[in-house]
Amino acid sequence: MTRPRELPRHLAMHVIAGFGICAATIVIWAATGASTYFWPRWVCFGIGVVLGSEFAMRAAWRYPPGRRRRLAVHIAADAVLAPLEIAVWALSGAGFFWPAFPLAALAIALSLHVWLEFRRPDDRERALVHRVDVLTRTRRGALDTQAAELRRIERDLHDGAQARLVSLGMSLGLAERLLLTDPEGAAKLLAEARTSTLSALDDLRTVMQAIHPSVLADRGLSGAVQALALDVSLPVEVAYDVAGAAPAPIESAMYFAVAECLANAVKHSHARHASVRIEHRDGRLVAVVADDGRGGARVGAGSGLSGVAARLEAFDGELTVLSPGGGPTVVTLEVPCELSSARTLPSSETD
Amino acid sequence: MRVVIGEDLALLRDGLTRLLEASGFDVVGAVADAPSVAVLLEREDVDVAVLDIRMPPTYTNEGLKAALAARQRRPGMPIVVLSQFVEQLYARELLQSGEGGLGYLLKDRVANVDEFVAAVRQVAAGGTVLDPKVVAGLLSGASAREPLARLTPREREVLRLIAQGRSNAGIAAGLVLSEKAVGKHINNIFAKLALPPATDDNRRVLAVLTYLQGTPEDSTAG
Repeated sequence: MTRPRELPRHLAMHVIAGFGICAATIVIWAATGASTYFWPRWVCFGIGVVLGSEFAMRAAWRYPPGRRRRLAVHIAADAVLAPLEIAVWALSGAGFFWPAFPLAALAIALSLHVWLEFRRPDDRERALVHRVDVLTRTRRGALDTQAAELRRIERDLHDGAQARLVSLGMSLGLAERLLLTDPEGAAKLLAEARTSTLSALDDLRTVMQAIHPSVLADRGLSGAVQALALDVSLPVEVAYDVAGAAPAPIESAMYFAVAECLANAVKHSHARHASVRIEHRDGRLVAVVADDGRGGARVGAGSGLSGVAARLEAFDGELTVLSPGGGPTVVTLEVPCELSSARTLPSSETD
Repeated sequence: MRVVIGEDLALLRDGLTRLLEASGFDVVGAVADAPSVAVLLEREDVDVAVLDIRMPPTYTNEGLKAALAARQRRPGMPIVVLSQFVEQLYARELLQSGEGGLGYLLKDRVANVDEFVAAVRQVAAGGTVLDPKVVAGLLSGASAREPLARLTPREREVLRLIAQGRSNAGIAAGLVLSEKAVGKHINNIFAKLALPPATDDNRRVLAVLTYLQGTPEDSTAG
């Protein structure tokens, strides 16, 4: 908003020009004999009205569009009109004070405007209230999802890696005791201990992949979705057309959403073939996951898809499911986002 | 046998050095980041390299990139890539050139010292060794395809071991079969998958992998 800065200079030039014209007419009036009727007062009055209107309107326009600007424009108009009427009354002989009537009308119109504007909430205000509602809901959703995730991770670590490390410790302790008396038994326990470390590593790997898959960190969404397609036990066609990288949290959310959809295609839909198409259009990252299974998928309470919807909602994203009985199923995932410059893929360097 | 180690975690780097030296390898360099690995791989006298996939500076997949770059300069340069996670995508990229001398293993496999050392030797000799996890993923991903469904469970077992780089004798020992029976199973598999017969272990692994990764049309054409 640079306009308010320029305003005084503009207005100053207009004021100087106005004064010049007034002075000129007074000079003409004096040069033509200075008649008793001082007519230049009407010229000065006219210029005053023009300058006053300009000043008032410019001042009113500084308010942001909406209710406040509308009221400011109204008040600015009244601020010009009311003195104008009084001035006309004064300049034309100051007889019966007729401006009382138009002034009353202006006052009534202004009160009516104020009442109307404050009676119903402004569009902008309504939009903001709606936004606050959405944010409150999605923030609560995001926090719930996060808390549930943390609980799940804690449980996985407790039941998996931790339990295995405890058993590992026991095997090692026993082996230590048997080392001298029963070397063969000790060797067996040590072999067991090694198996335990492998299982613990397996458990840890599963937990880590569920937090942030390494391939997503390495290759971004494009590579991660390709890797995902290879891991699913059904042929998946991947089309990726995004010139750049979405913010990491959005890529992560998209990745898990696509993973969930593909898992559903395998588990529930009994599909023979699936496809994933990811593109960026109209400022939105859009993923379409389709399969030729038996359909009937829906976003229900406690289902995987409602979890996906909650995850996407945290980014103002949405999920639409089109899945008539008998199939096919088409799940569309959309998240508004800006892209940063394309990341260089290692495969393109080595080709 | 001269080996180069690229691993950023000091504990694991020292462990690998100790383990390989104890097994008769000559460790000519053990470094912690991708640029140093690239310098070491320039040396002509390196017989095999063992690289962690995730190293400085970006901690993503430098090891993989270094391996691919080194093999572009020197085709068939034996490299074992180690990782905390195995991805079919990366296995695919490593095997794309169709040359042997490659290993792609989970770091966990180091715990079984004998198997790990055997794998490094096999790769150094030009063989291909894939982690059982990658092979399992390849097989499950391909199971929906028609010709694989026609294999008997025993043939699938044999196929799994071929893809891990085992020789006929190794497969026979693993499944408690005679080598002759293994040979028969392998012939059946190659016939059912319409793969050209191959005698040398590494060529055999690559044929199977090409089949598993590509579409059946591709492999029958080749």
